[in-house]
Amino acid sequence: MENLMDLPAMESGQTLMRLENVSRHFVMGEVIVEALRDVTLEIKAGEILAILGPSGSGKSTLLNIVGGMDRPTTGRVIYAGEDLTRASDERLGRFRRHEVGFVFQFYNLIPDLTAWENVEIAAGLVRSPSSVARVLEEVGLADRADHFPSQLSGGEQQRVSIARAMVKNPRLLLCDEPTGALDHRTGSMVLSLLARVSRSLGSTVVIVTHNTVIGEMADRVIRMRSGTIAEIITNPDPLPPERISW
Amino acid sequence: MSVLGRRIWRAYRKSRLQFLAVALVVMIGVSTYISMNTAYYNLEHSRDVFYREHDFADYYFHVVRAPYQVIKRVQALPGVDMVTGRVQMDLPIIRENGERGTARLTGYHLPMDKEVNRIQLLSGRMFDEDPSGGRIEVLTDPQFAAANRLNPGDSLVVAAQGREVTLAVTGTAGGPEFIYPMKDAASLMPEPENFGIVMAPLNQVQQVLGYSGQINQVLIRVTPGYDPEEVAERVEKILEPYGNLAGYPRKDQLSHAMLNAELEGLQKSASSLPAVFLVLAAIIQYVMLGRMIKTQRREIGILKALGFDRRSIVLHYAAYAMVITVVGAILGIILGIALSSVISKTYAMFFNLPQEIGGINVKAIFFGLLSSLAAGAAAGLGASRGILALNPAESMRSEPPRVSGRIWLERWSRLWKRLDNYWRMSFRTVWRNGWRSFFAMIGVMFAAGMLIIAFFADDSMDHMLNRHFTLEKSYDYLVRFTEPVKEYEILNISRLDGVIKAEPLLEVPVRVSFGGRKEDDVLLGMNPGTTLKTVFNVDGELLAIPEDGVLLGEITAGKLGVKVGDQVTIETRMQSGVSQEASLKVLGINRQMIGSESFVSLKQANKVLRESRIVTAVMLKVDPGKAAGIEKELNRMTGVSSIQSRQRELAGFEKQMGYMIYFVVIMVSFAAILGFAIVYNSSIIGFGERQRELALLKMMGFSDREMGGLLLRETLLQSIPGVLLGLPFGRMMSQWYVAAISTEAFTFPVVVYPRTYIISAIIGVLFVLAAHWFASRGIRHIEPSELLKNND
Ligand SMILES: Nc1ncnc2c1ncn2[C@@H]1O[C@H](COP(=O)(O)OP(=O)(O)OP(=O)(O)O)[C@@H](O)[C@H]1O
Ligand SMILES: [Mg+2]
Repeated sequence: MENLMDLPAMESGQTLMRLENVSRHFVMGEVIVEALRDVTLEIKAGEILAILGPSGSGKSTLLNIVGGMDRPTTGRVIYAGEDLTRASDERLGRFRRHEVGFVFQFYNLIPDLTAWENVEIAAGLVRSPSSVARVLEEVGLADRADHFPSQLSGGEQQRVSIARAMVKNPRLLLCDEPTGALDHRTGSMVLSLLARVSRSLGSTVVIVTHNTVIGEMADRVIRMRSGTIAEIITNPDPLPPERISW
Repeated sequence: MSVLGRRIWRAYRKSRLQFLAVALVVMIGVSTYISMNTAYYNLEHSRDVFYREHDFADYYFHVVRAPYQVIKRVQALPGVDMVTGRVQMDLPIIRENGERGTARLTGYHLPMDKEVNRIQLLSGRMFDEDPSGGRIEVLTDPQFAAANRLNPGDSLVVAAQGREVTLAVTGTAGGPEFIYPMKDAASLMPEPENFGIVMAPLNQVQQVLGYSGQINQVLIRVTPGYDPEEVAERVEKILEPYGNLAGYPRKDQLSHAMLNAELEGLQKSASSLPAVFLVLAAIIQYVMLGRMIKTQRREIGILKALGFDRRSIVLHYAAYAMVITVVGAILGIILGIALSSVISKTYAMFFNLPQEIGGINVKAIFFGLLSSLAAGAAAGLGASRGILALNPAESMRSEPPRVSGRIWLERWSRLWKRLDNYWRMSFRTVWRNGWRSFFAMIGVMFAAGMLIIAFFADDSMDHMLNRHFTLEKSYDYLVRFTEPVKEYEILNISRLDGVIKAEPLLEVPVRVSFGGRKEDDVLLGMNPGTTLKTVFNVDGELLAIPEDGVLLGEITAGKLGVKVGDQVTIETRMQSGVSQEASLKVLGINRQMIGSESFVSLKQANKVLRESRIVTAVMLKVDPGKAAGIEKELNRMTGVSSIQSRQRELAGFEKQMGYMIYFVVIMVSFAAILGFAIVYNSSIIGFGERQRELALLKMMGFSDREMGGLLLRETLLQSIPGVLLGLPFGRMMSQWYVAAISTEAFTFPVVVYPRTYIISAIIGVLFVLAAHWFASRGIRHIEPSELLKNND
């Protein structure tokens, strides 16, 4: 039957994932694009990590590797002691299923399912999910549960997609430009939601963004430049998302 | 290559299998068209050439005995182009094992070149008019020779004028009147073991039969421009004095009538069946191109903005359809030629035509190609028509988002609540892609329906044989006498050891007239309490043999337009004796599964003939253990002309039906290709449209199997109703098909056994699953990482 990841539990602050000398090359005919170059990084349990950098600097590529959707060309990815670079496709699928929740810039809800059903289908993937009603309540959409994505605003859709990611109780919540398509007020609401999830579930939240200001709410900020980590800034005193303005 | 040309090329490479699937559907249409029409044209052509080169007679006249010189007077009549006088007579064959058989001895005036119905030597050598040693040399029809293992040099013994005559076989020959050598209209099919055409020089035949200087048949060819009926009337006036005159036109000549009915049926199916395939191919192409164009709105907009004119863009997409069509048509021509040779070989088993029937027919190929190209062009232009309506700015905008919302099914909340999210998703997707789902369903329905068509003929035949050989007749043997005998004489037979029941029969060949029309038929006189032969009406209800009046066969009644209660005139046409006339009331119309006969009581039949208590045959029910002995005994009796065994007759039918397996195999493979192509294309299109959704599911951790299951639900939602609807639809199509190929003289009931529905449904589901499996192989290659490239 369903095979859980069955990885050890972890205290907040312990290393959840380690990237060792990770490179990712894309071969485009004659040209080789080096999207990531020799990246070494530790992601800690329970932290909020922001990845900043200009377009094309390799943020999404890094997130893909962290989320088990892509494999590095060289280097190793260790998750809770397991070498994911050696894992089979099937095992990687299970990693995504049980450990990872995703939030995208363009929500990616399934158009043929209602808000409730979108969350429910994710809940069905894991053995002990949160209740669908509770997460929808938490994102403030209990009364819109019966609506289809096309009947929801962008911000509401993004909240559904956060609920969908939350319901699995993932240890790793990955967000690619979660506010990219939203106005300021809605964006700020989404961010505080993410922060709350991180605190309440103890999930690690990785947020990729262009937006430097978002870094102010993170525990740590990684700055990427042309495929490498330019710097890692530790934020001793992250701001609550409501106080950030851009 | 132009840029647009390169685009087409890339599109083909990307969707090879899809391309191939549609091409195969076109192939099926073209190949059925070409093969059936080739067979039709070639058969018709071969027949026409044979008729022309051998001066096939326009009119036949039978008399008892006339001087040979009478043909001089016939020749002198205006409108008579050619005339041949001959002697033809059925003689019992005498075999060592005692089994009965009939040789139709036919005399040919030599030299033959000015004669009507000349024969053509097929093997061995021509007979000699005056061979050394006083032998009588003969040729036989090839089927008879094959069935009786007769080679040149062998001899054949017949009884003529009360003595045995030995005939020396020199080879085989065929003639335009012997293409389908059947003994008489009452025989259900050729029996080459027991019936053969034996051809010999006229002088020899005259001598053997005591007809020196005399003839009993006159055959004429009518000069073009003359009315054959008028000419025939004049000939009949001359022949009237020579006894028992019977004249009939070419259309009533048995071999010709059988061949004609076959050709007519072939022509009808050749014009209906391929059309279905071509229309389906066009629909699939239309849907496929339509989707392609829809997903390429943006590119089309760019092409337009770049200044490509609309016409070249439309032509570009239409060309895509045309290339598929051309590839399919070429495959179809090759397959069609191969299939036409299979069909021709099957016909060669039944019909004695000297020319090769197979071969390429340019006309069939030309029209097959033309109609498939027309269908392809229509699909291509139809699908790309939408491009014209788009303006560049509009088409560059991405398509409006799919509307989502509730579907009708959700109103049945109790059912809906039971469905899991996968089923809900699938239902909504299928419902929202309304037209495409609908086309897919219709396509599968056609494919499943074709399976029914493939099988129904077999079921119908089986049903007919079953009914005919168990219900309609239950005797073991039908024993016919060389001439009518008194009823009590059959006691000889009924007293044989092992005979359980013997019931007499009086078979009277008649001509029935009603309302100015005339039809030949056979009246069967039997006692009202007869049990070994049973008569049913059109609705399958039992009909009792009436004391007076007649139960008319459905086919004769149909041709004459007779209804129950009408009064018909009957004119007897016994081999010997004077023709008698009577007027009988039609008390019922009977339907027989095989053949057509009319029934009167034995008394009535005698009354019509102005005889009393005579019979011509007896039906026997025997103890199976003693059957062989009885048969031997019967063969020894002199007055017996033929012994028909129900068992052997049935076996013969079943053997003849063996060729149907070709038809079934071909139709089933066509149905499978069709179903596959439709489901595959529809799945691939659906798959393509939902890449993003699938990538998302994969990212969320769905396994390939789970995603495949999701797609499978969608496929099944479209296909299962298609398969289920296809079953009754197939039955309906079978009904239409039978109606289309039915003639006045030939029709059969459409019977589909429950087993056939089950088998068809299973095969249908199998091809759906196979196509789905092929289409969903791509799931493995979906990259979840593509999702983060934020293009929407
Ligand atoms: N599948 C791919 N094939 C080829 N090159 C790729 C592929 N994916 C990414 N790249 C290249 O790798 C580099 C990094 O891309 P990536 O998507 O990670 O950038 P990003 O930082 O997320 O940019 P943005 O902020 O615009 O989303 C880019 O130069 C891109 O062209
Ligand atoms: Mg990116």
